[in-house]
Amino acid sequence: MSVGFDSEVWTEKYRPKKFEDMVGQVEIIKRVKALTNSLNIPHLLFAGPAGTGKSTLALIIVKTLFGESWRENYLELNASDERGIDVIRQKVKDFARTKAIGDVPFKIIFLDEADALTREAQQALRRTMENYTSTCRFVMSCNYSSKILDPIQSRAVVFRFQLLEKKDIKRRVDLISDGEGLSITADAFDVLYEASEGDCRRVINLLQATASISPNITPDLVNTIVSKAKPSDIKIVLDYALSGDFVSSREKLLDIMLKESISGQDVIKAIQKEVWNLPIDNSLKVKLTEKTGEAEFRLVEGSDEFIQLEALLAGFILAGEGGIKEKKIGDI
Amino acid sequence: MINMDNIPWCEKYRTKSFEDIQGQELAVDKVRFFLRSFPKKKAVILHGAPGTGKTSLAYAIAYETDSEILELNASDLRNKEKIAAIIGPASRQKSLFNKSKIILVDEVDGVSAIKDRGGLGELLSLLEKSAFPVIITANDIWQKKFNLLRQKSEVVGLKEVDYKIILGILNEVCEKENCAVSGDILTSISIRARGDIRAAINDLQILSKMDSPELMKEVGERNKEQSIFSALQFVFKNSKIDDAMIKVFDEVNMPLDEIFLWIEENIPLEYSGAELVKAYDALSLADVFRGRIQRQRYWRFMVYEYFLLGAGVASVKKYNRAGWTGYKKPSRILKIWLQNQRAMKKKTICIKYAKVCHISIKTAMKDFLLLKIILENSKIREQMRLSSEEIDYLEK
Repeated sequence: MSVGFDSEVWTEKYRPKKFEDMVGQVEIIKRVKALTNSLNIPHLLFAGPAGTGKSTLALIIVKTLFGESWRENYLELNASDERGIDVIRQKVKDFARTKAIGDVPFKIIFLDEADALTREAQQALRRTMENYTSTCRFVMSCNYSSKILDPIQSRAVVFRFQLLEKKDIKRRVDLISDGEGLSITADAFDVLYEASEGDCRRVINLLQATASISPNITPDLVNTIVSKAKPSDIKIVLDYALSGDFVSSREKLLDIMLKESISGQDVIKAIQKEVWNLPIDNSLKVKLTEKTGEAEFRLVEGSDEFIQLEALLAGFILAGEGGIKEKKIGDI
Repeated sequence: MINMDNIPWCEKYRTKSFEDIQGQELAVDKVRFFLRSFPKKKAVILHGAPGTGKTSLAYAIAYETDSEILELNASDLRNKEKIAAIIGPASRQKSLFNKSKIILVDEVDGVSAIKDRGGLGELLSLLEKSAFPVIITANDIWQKKFNLLRQKSEVVGLKEVDYKIILGILNEVCEKENCAVSGDILTSISIRARGDIRAAINDLQILSKMDSPELMKEVGERNKEQSIFSALQFVFKNSKIDDAMIKVFDEVNMPLDEIFLWIEENIPLEYSGAELVKAYDALSLADVFRGRIQRQRYWRFMVYEYFLLGAGVASVKKYNRAGWTGYKKPSRILKIWLQNQRAMKKKTICIKYAKVCHISIKTAMKDFLLLKIILENSKIREQMRLSSEEIDYLEK
């Protein structure tokens, strides 16, 4: 199945295919290219934010190494979907059992979002890496290298990807708009960039979604798409809580989490950002941020995300009452 | 020959001695006092709800005093002549083997003032004449017609038997009958018996004869909810942290994880304001310990998890709560399941998309609102080989 190559999804259609096509990460690309050309690469760990080229670089490595037969010599696993180490080990074993096809003496396993693996799974992965090192090389990607065990980091060469600069993303967008016959105003690109927080994949997705309406990309058009694609506001949940209606608040929260498939950590991130926009005293904002921090800590330590979020919402109820009281005192 | 299999278990396992009688210590003491002071008062009235052990106590008295029993049912108290014929001579002679006698008048409140005219009067005169103790049993002795009888007798009340004692008795019976009934079901029977030991043993016997696992499960299920409801009540209504509070979930036949959900669901029904915050704080800490158990496999943390879940949630209030609260079943798991059913197509679409675009299914799910717009392109749909159901889902 050769869907990937001529996909009409632009993130694939315009995914860089050679080292030279990539934007940003100049130093990393130089070194990885040298390693690849020497036909003997070590285990690699790519750390950095989303949409900065980690997966793209991994794909370029395998395509450069194996040419046409890259699909036979490449296994892509996503740790956040296949969290069980047993699944990963089994797949690795099955894949590594046969010899590589072609001149290169090893195959490549790309373990995406490796920081989603638990500590135990990482310990097991460490041995798996050693056992199959003669037939397989691991390329791992993660957002935070601190979440990867030291023994794994020490077995791999670590590359830290930086957020792409605006001008780099502009180059990709220009390339696409040439290829697709779009016209993009400078303002429209600004809106695209701002809405994507430097995530190149998201920029391209937004661009394609916008272009599905009209090839003339304007700021308004981009904004329409952005608001259409925005997950339901966590603010509604907080408004209910601050007004003292706990039951509606938690119901709405569960609703949003289920419908938008967002995790507890995403919710708490949104709450933390939202606190500063709430119409309450700054001193209260400080208290609520502190509470949010404690909740995030417990969420990481605990077992049921929703219970931790509920506890946080309950805290907001009290803050709501306190806020009103404080205002009354101020009025007197 | 008596076939023991045909004897109802409640008869087969009737208690023999005072020692065997459980949960009626006070009544037994009073009866002992009555026997010691006999014939100061000629009769003792044992009264209490059905199945609390009145008849058993009467037979135990006979056993303890090595006497034989002369029994009279309510139906035998028809009339003067009959009572006089049966009791009259018997009460004045010693028995053949020189054994002393006890006269048992069972279920005296079955006596009708009109139909059994004279029955009560005869009973009273019997008390006067009898050389032997008379034991009278009744469910309700406070009716006006028994006024005189009460005055002439020692009145001993038997209280309803605590379900834990019934449970113990059922367990013994099970052991002796060699039948395996799960603890859940025994607890359920004990609770539903409402202090009636006989009913409990009867239920057990019937149940043991049935080989329908469905029903057994059903009974067990009912018990499960019953026990979680009473545990919730205990936690939410009491402010005092005592031994019972520390063990509040011991009787609940439910994994702790499920109890979590029940507490979580019902906190807002009982608490508000600062209490609500504190209760969720306790729940949240309990969950932190649960997370640590899961990650570190350090099971002793369970002590704190349990404590916070019960005593922690209970202790947030200053005073006991009154009133009845209709606790709700946990709804979150059901909602998640329903949503998953609905989102099945969404998931399969994301799986296909994730594979093509080198991202995780999770990321695809998160970006779904944007992907939906991109997937309006029919060429992409074709390339990704979306099924017609999946396309329907996108069109919705």
